[in-house]
Amino acid sequence: MTDEKTAAPAGAAPSRDFDLLRRLSATPELGPLILLIVMLIVFTSINPAFLSLNNISNALTFTVELGLIALGMTLLMTSGEFDLSVGSVFGFTAVVMWTLINSTELGMPLSFAIAMGVAILIGAVNGFFVTRLKIPSFLVTLGMLLVVRGSALWLTSGFPQRTWETGQQWLAEVLVGDFCIGGTGDFCSGGLRVYMSLIWFIVIAAMLHYVLTRTRFGNWIQATGGNPAAARNRGVPIRRVKMLLFMLTSALAGLAGIISSIRVSAANPNSGTTYELEVIAMVVIGGTALMGGRGTILGTVLGVLILRLMRNGIVLIGVPGLAYNIFIGAIILGMMALHSALERRHNEGT
Amino acid sequence: MTTPIVEMRGIEKFYGRIHALRGVNLQVNRGEIVGLLGDNGAGKSTLIKVLSGAVPYTSGQILINGKEVALTSTNDAIDAGVETIYQDSALVPQLSIARNLFLGRELTRGPLGRLDQGEMNRVATDLLRRVGITKNIPPTTPISSLSGGERQAVAIARAMYFDSEIIILDEPTNNLGVAETQGVLNFVRDARDKGHACIFIAHNIHHVFQVVDRMVVMRRGEVAADDLSPKTSSIQDVENIITGEHLAA
Ligand SMILES: Nc1ncnc2c1ncn2[C@@H]1O[C@H](COP(=O)(O)OP(=O)(O)O)[C@@H](O)[C@H]1O
Ligand SMILES: [Mg+2]
Repeated sequence: MTDEKTAAPAGAAPSRDFDLLRRLSATPELGPLILLIVMLIVFTSINPAFLSLNNISNALTFTVELGLIALGMTLLMTSGEFDLSVGSVFGFTAVVMWTLINSTELGMPLSFAIAMGVAILIGAVNGFFVTRLKIPSFLVTLGMLLVVRGSALWLTSGFPQRTWETGQQWLAEVLVGDFCIGGTGDFCSGGLRVYMSLIWFIVIAAMLHYVLTRTRFGNWIQATGGNPAAARNRGVPIRRVKMLLFMLTSALAGLAGIISSIRVSAANPNSGTTYELEVIAMVVIGGTALMGGRGTILGTVLGVLILRLMRNGIVLIGVPGLAYNIFIGAIILGMMALHSALERRHNEGT
Repeated sequence: MTTPIVEMRGIEKFYGRIHALRGVNLQVNRGEIVGLLGDNGAGKSTLIKVLSGAVPYTSGQILINGKEVALTSTNDAIDAGVETIYQDSALVPQLSIARNLFLGRELTRGPLGRLDQGEMNRVATDLLRRVGITKNIPPTTPISSLSGGERQAVAIARAMYFDSEIIILDEPTNNLGVAETQGVLNFVRDARDKGHACIFIAHNIHHVFQVVDRMVVMRRGEVAADDLSPKTSSIQDVENIITGEHLAA
């Protein structure tokens, strides 16, 4: 037994402080969870209306549209790539669907399928440029952002697409219908109005969480982002993994755009502008590493809630909405500092 | 005469204009540890990357157990029974020991590829004990919190589990302490005694002398000598061949 054993992690009884840090670094969701709770307490103590069912239900409705994109982006970023074109795809997919509905006899389900196909194709092109031509995803998806946004504007000459009353369509009902829990009357007074989009968000979040943490494909996603050379050496098809995740992210962006267009009864070629930044913010606040290898769907769900409650809360407590970005920027910087400090601590502890 | 387990014939490799391998012939027999030596840039890593399917070769033939194989991917090589332990590109730091052991060959249940985490952890615990990690390290520990020797042991455990016929170790003793190095050398001897063939690359010529049956020296992309025995050659002789000094004499 010589001295190299002293470098090993076991040994001295860890102090309580070290234990907490350990737990924090092993559980990236803990930081955002604490932040969320603090925000809830602060906002509610300033304005008790914050926790009203009505307010929660309103906040959640918008939330899930961006949240859907963030779920796909979480897996993509875990594999070491990201996608700046999601905001454009959000706007473009809805425009494609409504243009088809308005100017052809295809009907809504078929138009929906075609529009989703277009979104998936955009993701495939992103994936092709990144994995086959080896161009960094920043450049590829920045280019795609412009191409797709430009296409949406060109297709519509810049005007919003007419969206007729979709109330009768079963597909619209499935995507954005709502039901009332515990309330009465048309306005669901006293109860919680739940939109189908929330159900979609929960179902997809649960599925992707399962995929990422419990399946072989999830293992491949983490390995692809964590050490691509090792993954390749073990025969993990890292290009196919990334390709699929680009397509998934784009599909979810398209779905979110369609849901949003039905909800607000407008398919605006400009909608979704700058959503890519907000989505990436949600994901990194939740604890997913920008450089890949570590990702958490639970964290992203928390990140989604944090950003929405922040937007909602600062209006409720009377801070001008224009100051929103100051808070978001500060939260991103703070959370990144926390995650990187924990990571460093984690690595030094070995 | 038994057929060699690995036979590489006339392997040529160009990286663009760099001629990294110039008609290399290499044979490795069952139950033999071959030490691959050579200065930096001699082509050792390139040669074993060819054998492990990680880089395509320009021309030449590779036979495993007497049958010609086309190693166009690392999967081909793993399926042919070649397990490579790279010095730094073997493991994913964020993933657990068990998940690294089974990376690319995960144990799953059902059509959705659900990981059989329990079985993977059980096997991993067993393997860790077999490669001499006696400290109680749970198989769910991420690689990032292991020491260099422990990481090497995990990579070696993988070769043991898959019971690969041919085990390649590229500088496995770099950055290791004395006891950890002995662990690696013991493993290599063990594997040889069980009939595996090993190709062992190490910078430290003393480590090579301790463990190999035969030494192959590469210089500037060619094999300069392929039948040196640690019993009959001195370290000085071998060093002279590595540097090309014996030619000048
Ligand atoms: N990926 C690569 N691209 C271009 N040249 C390379 C690459 N890998 C190795 N080489 C070159 O091939 C030669 C052999 O390198 P290598 O096989 O790594 O030698 P060794 O492992 O013996 O030090 C060197 O001249 C090296 O610069
Ligand atoms: Mg080398």
